[in-house]
Amino acid sequence: MSRVIARNEWRRLFAQPLAWALLAATLAVLAYFFLLTLQGFLGLSPKLAGLPSAPGMTDLVALPLLRAVASVLLIVAPLLGMRAIAGERQSGTLALLQSSGIGATRIVLGKFIALCGFFAVLVVLAVAMPASLAIGTHPDWGRLCTGLLGLILFAAALTAIAIAASSFTRQVVVAAIVALALNLVLWMLDAGARHEGVSSDFINYLALPTHLEPFLRGIVATVDVVYFALIVAVALTLAARRLDAEREAG
Amino acid sequence: MSATPILQLQGATRRMAGRTIIDGVTLALDLGCVLGLLGVNGAGKSTTLRMIAGVLAPSAGRVLFDGRDLHEEPDLARRLGYLPETPPLYAELRVDEYLMFCARLHGLRAADARKAVDRAIERCGLGEVGRRLCGNLSKGYTQRTGIAQAIVHDPDLIVLDEPASGLDPVQAASIRELVRELGRERAVILSTHLLHDVTACCTRVAILHGGRLRHDGAVADLAGDNAHGTSLEKVFFRIAIGDDAQAAA
Repeated sequence: MSRVIARNEWRRLFAQPLAWALLAATLAVLAYFFLLTLQGFLGLSPKLAGLPSAPGMTDLVALPLLRAVASVLLIVAPLLGMRAIAGERQSGTLALLQSSGIGATRIVLGKFIALCGFFAVLVVLAVAMPASLAIGTHPDWGRLCTGLLGLILFAAALTAIAIAASSFTRQVVVAAIVALALNLVLWMLDAGARHEGVSSDFINYLALPTHLEPFLRGIVATVDVVYFALIVAVALTLAARRLDAEREAG
Repeated sequence: MSATPILQLQGATRRMAGRTIIDGVTLALDLGCVLGLLGVNGAGKSTTLRMIAGVLAPSAGRVLFDGRDLHEEPDLARRLGYLPETPPLYAELRVDEYLMFCARLHGLRAADARKAVDRAIERCGLGEVGRRLCGNLSKGYTQRTGIAQAIVHDPDLIVLDEPASGLDPVQAASIRELVRELGRERAVILSTHLLHDVTACCTRVAILHGGRLRHDGAVADLAGDNAHGTSLEKVFFRIAIGDDAQAAA
């Protein structure tokens, strides 16, 4: 039944200009960034040619681009996820889902699957930019693949956060602001703490970059996969609980 | 017809933010019955319907669907169609796409859902607007699409919250005719504050006031200004104004 919700969500996403506009604007910004880094790399390459074990295209073009994709996702995920539940509540269509008897968990899962699908498309198209350089050079396919996997997991975590924020309000803008604030806190937590002279393994573990960076460097570690899975599970459970509580408390 | 009523409310109570909105409502409804739920604004009609539809859980008491607790078995809601006060339409979907989603949401397989959508479109007179976006529909077609989503999966119980509100007299009459027709095979609950809606298409009437069920009986018993002085209008005003007058005194 989550599939029915997901398919409907997906259809609705692309029937509105928001998803198209976000996709187009995001890819345009990333394409421009990609061209700039590529130009920089081409300017440097004669000097790099003389160095032993010099960094290649993957380090100097693909890696900065993948980091830029992550930064853009921090903003785009709340914008797209803000309407997931708050929008349904605002327009009165949540009653349709709640009265169908499918249950809060399936509603939340359906929304999550659809939004993750959208972000998977965005990430694949972004990673296709450095991958297209394969016609003239030899990208590190392993690192591109782990980067792609890391960004998809990262996007899934941000989507789940956006859905959770959306489940607690009927104002879509409030949902977006809360999700963005949470994303930024998780993004800057570790760097901020270090800047203040606090070095804590726990804070380091909580921070998003701690777990994304290994993927971008070609390392797939269970601890990082579990971290993203935990964020998804906690956020989606919160969203489902909130919907159930609404039924109980009104 | 089964011996168990299709719907039973047993002391259903709903409290919200410390206030009792619905207070111990008990009623039963069989298939083939159209129940008009009357009440002034704030009487608790919409909250009662939301409890019946499974959108809200009762704070106390039970809502039984075909003898089983709707709160404990939410899947039962698939045999129920609900039109809230604001039709729950997705503005960006076409009417046929939207109804297809509603049919699938209630567990119909794709092929069955397609046939069910065609039937609902025909029954609700939506043929002309089947491929139009829900957001571009007139008020009349919006209400009709709302009713179509409530009946598309052929439910046993249909719950309609003010389906004719804001419609012109011709559109309202056609909605009443549709409700009468639906009530021949199924159970229908129709919330309204228009007495005419009840006399025109209901077989039973229940009057809510201050969250309590104050009257429950056959519409035929309250037909016209009968010898006992118990016309629907008199009973309704006695309950609605009488209480307010008492409260003022």
